[in-house]
Order: sequence, then structure tokens, then C-alpha cells
Amino acid sequence: MKDPYQILGVLETATDEEVKKAYLQLARKYHPDNYHDNPLADLAQEKMKEINAAYEQITKSRNGGQRNAGYRGGYGGYSDQRGWNNQSSTGSSVLQQVRIAINSGNLSRAEALLANYDNHNAEWNFLKGAVCYRRGWMDEARRYYTTACQMDPGNQEYQQALNYMESGPSGAYHPGSSVFGTDICDDNSLCMRMCCTYMLFSSCGWRICCI
Amino acid sequence: MFGYILPPPKEIAKEEYEQFRLAYCGLCHTLQRRYGFVSRFILNYDFTYLAILLSSGERCSPCQSRCPVSPLKQQPHCPGSEALDLAADESVILTYFQLLDAIADHGFRKGIKYRILAAMLRPAYKKAEILRPRFAAITRDQLQILTRLEETRIASLDEPADTFANLLAAAADELDDPVQKRVLHQLLYHLGRWVYLIDAADDLKKDLAAGNYNPVALRYELKEGRIPPEIRPQFVLTLDHSIHMAATAFELWDFGIWTNLLTRTIYDSLFAVGRSVLDGTFHTLQKEHKKYRLLRKPNERSVSDSGCTGDCDR
Repeated sequence: MKDPYQILGVLETATDEEVKKAYLQLARKYHPDNYHDNPLADLAQEKMKEINAAYEQITKSRNGGQRNAGYRGGYGGYSDQRGWNNQSSTGSSVLQQVRIAINSGNLSRAEALLANYDNHNAEWNFLKGAVCYRRGWMDEARRYYTTACQMDPGNQEYQQALNYMESGPSGAYHPGSSVFGTDICDDNSLCMRMCCTYMLFSSCGWRICCI
Repeated sequence: MFGYILPPPKEIAKEEYEQFRLAYCGLCHTLQRRYGFVSRFILNYDFTYLAILLSSGERCSPCQSRCPVSPLKQQPHCPGSEALDLAADESVILTYFQLLDAIADHGFRKGIKYRILAAMLRPAYKKAEILRPRFAAITRDQLQILTRLEETRIASLDEPADTFANLLAAAADELDDPVQKRVLHQLLYHLGRWVYLIDAADDLKKDLAAGNYNPVALRYELKEGRIPPEIRPQFVLTLDHSIHMAATAFELWDFGIWTNLLTRTIYDSLFAVGRSVLDGTFHTLQKEHKKYRLLRKPNERSVSDSGCTGDCDR
């Protein structure tokens, strides 16, 4: 196994505080939220496991074999419930198969199934958007998610996907002190106000952005 | 389509910048060695980035030789390597197809320039095609798809961007390590998508005036050469999603000595370039960037000529 200090990128002489800081920085980088519906999420999950194991090993050895009281078995686990709901909300067996195909990363199959499904209901649009997102077709993904939300405004799953598309990766990991984004909105800028106006017009629900 | 991926000169150490220059000059020498003098003119930062992304991430031991830019004094540069060879081959193929695309986009008279350039690069392309048949085939296919989409004047951003993204992503297919291949495929796909879209935004005015195909104009039904403020957030969102995907891929592979340079490029430089294109100030940014020309101040280099131990002729 690799040296745990090397994994966290700190020297063996680092203080507990420095080790923790390095660990938290890495955990933020590989956190499941940063790899939301990402085709490489499995690799990030492996990284996360490696970091958690390294941190646990260091804290254990520093506490003389005792587990650090403050440590609760790793931060930001990739648990299974984060994965997709395999149960189709409309109960269509075809759409259920589409969900399974997306989950297993078989996008061509998901796409073929969707192409042969004539009922373009809210769920169809949502799944089409999900396939687009994983393919990197971000503009079309947003469009399909929007249609799904308009057809079924009460659906939490569709709303969440659209919210994620529209709030953008602004909360994404950024190594510096800066924020992730081409147009960074500070509070009273024109940009912020425009962003809010746009959100209000295009939304099919409330937006955190405008509070 | 090239020139949007730039090293951020202010945020990186001189030493890192010098390493970038060694790779840049190394790629130039590799092009000369494999494809002759003419091919040197296709060199740019984008292809240097391709070379460092495909590299092992280890420091090269520089050798030194003269070149047309520095005919009297020998300049240090990275000697040939597998990654430089691959980047050189792929650069030739990419440039050749860019020229064919430009010929198709322009009329007979305006296209003459591109016809001449394509004819000059043709022998190099023929050689590269034999060396990398798979990459050449994918590039040819994707540009054919793009031409068809342009002809139908499709009102989509993702579909035309997908073609350029795919051909850039295919540059990773020649790698052996399966994880590295997956990571780079995703990283290059989204860099390609971002480049295609930012290039379309940059050409908006020109394309509208000339009546040329422009995906951004068609997608948002624009009649003027600017992206209006009410459309901008939508467009920025789609750009930022791609940078995010590129960034998350980047974090999953160890790029060695290039880590900081690439971090600053992905997390800072791309945003700055995108912002300046949308604000209409990109050309000012380019000018500012020229102040940091790679060969400008040889006396400030951290690699002294005596430090060149590598052998230029492999």
C-alpha cells in the first residue's frame, strides 16, 4: 500500500491540524457532490476510499492504535442510495430498463430504448435529459429536464436534476480561493440581478439563487 | 478553432513556464524531424497542451540545438519522446482537417489561402495518416458529420460541438493505460466542446456578417454579433458544465510536473478566456499574453544552457 502521508500530500512531520486540513481539501475534491452523475464517478469513489483509508491509518497510528474519537468512518461516502432510483415512476417497464441501462453506463442501449418509446411523457424527457448529461450534451440535457419539469411540476427527481443544471457547477470544487465559473456573481452586481431575472423566467419552481 | 487554451502566465512560477517552453520547443523539433520544415508552422499552445496531457508527467532532460527562431544561439528544449511523437502526429492530422473544413466554409476566392496551406501540409498528412490510421479515420468521420450538420444549419449547440469534442477525445485512444485513457478521453471531450463553443461565440459577428453557419447564432436566434445579456447566463452555464467535467476528469490522473500548470489553466485561464470572448475583449487578452512570449527573455530562464544533458538525436 502507498504511504498514507503521500496520499494526503503531507509530510510525516505535519501536525494533526495540517493532516486534517489536507484530508478535508482532498475529500472536498473527490466528494460525490462534485461527481454528480459523472461518468467517472467510480474513479472518484476509489480515490475517496484511498483518502479515507489513509486518514484513518494516520489518525489511528497517532492515537496509539486508538481510533480518533472525532472520526466517524470517513467523510462523504458514495453510498448506494445516491445511485439512481431503478423504479420507474410511471411504472413503464421500458423506461425502467432505460434507468438500468443508464446506471450501468450503457448509454447506447438507453438511447435506443428511448428512441423506440413513443410516449414522450415527463419521465421520457427526464431520462432523455439524463442520457444527454452523461454524454456531455449539456444544453440539450437542460432542455429535456425543463420539459420534464413543465409536464410534471410536482416531481422532486426532475426538479432536482433541473436545479442542478440551472444553478450550474458554481458550488463545484475550486482549488484556489476563487469560485468556479466564467461569470462569477457577487451580490449586487448587474450580473447577479440578470442571473436572477433569468432564473425566475425560466424556472418551474423556486430558486435558491434569488433568496 | 485553436488559440483559446492559454497558459496563465501570472499564476505560475517561472520554472513551470520554462518547462512548458521546453515542451513547446520540443514539439517544434519533433514536427521538423518527423514532417519537415513546413509542419513547424502548425505549432501552437493547444498542441503543446495535447503533448503534455499525453506525456508521462516526468521532467525531460533538455538538450539544445539551433532553430529558425534562434538561428545563432542554441536553445534548450525537450528531446523527442513517445508523447511528443504522438502529439506531433495528431497535430498534423488535426490541422490538415481544420484546413479542409476552412476550404469548405469559404468561397472559391477566400478559400485560396486555405487551399495552398492544405496542399503544403498534404505530404505531412499522408505520412501521419499511415502512422495513426485510427485517429485519422475518426477525424475524417467527425468532420464529415460536422459538414453535414453545417449544411442543414442545425439549431443545436451540442450536436456540432460533439463532433469536434469527439475528434479531440480520440487523441486519447492511442494511450495504453485504461484509466489514463478514460480520464483523458473525458477531459479532451469537454475541452473540445468548450473550444468549439467559445470559438463559435468569438466568430459570431464575422459569421453573421458573412452569412456563414454559426451554431450560437442559430441556437439562440441571434441577429446581432453579440450574445445579449439575457442569453449570456444560459450560454455560460453550458460552458461551465463542460469546464467542470474537464476539471473533475483532470483530478483523477497524476499529471506529474504539469499538475499546477494544468490546474491553473483549467480552473482560471479557461474562465478568463471565456469571459473575455463574451465581453469582446479577447484580443486585448491575447495581446497582453504576447508580453509573456515564450522566447522573449532567454536571460531569465531557469534552465541554463550548461544544464542540457539530454541527447537531441534519439
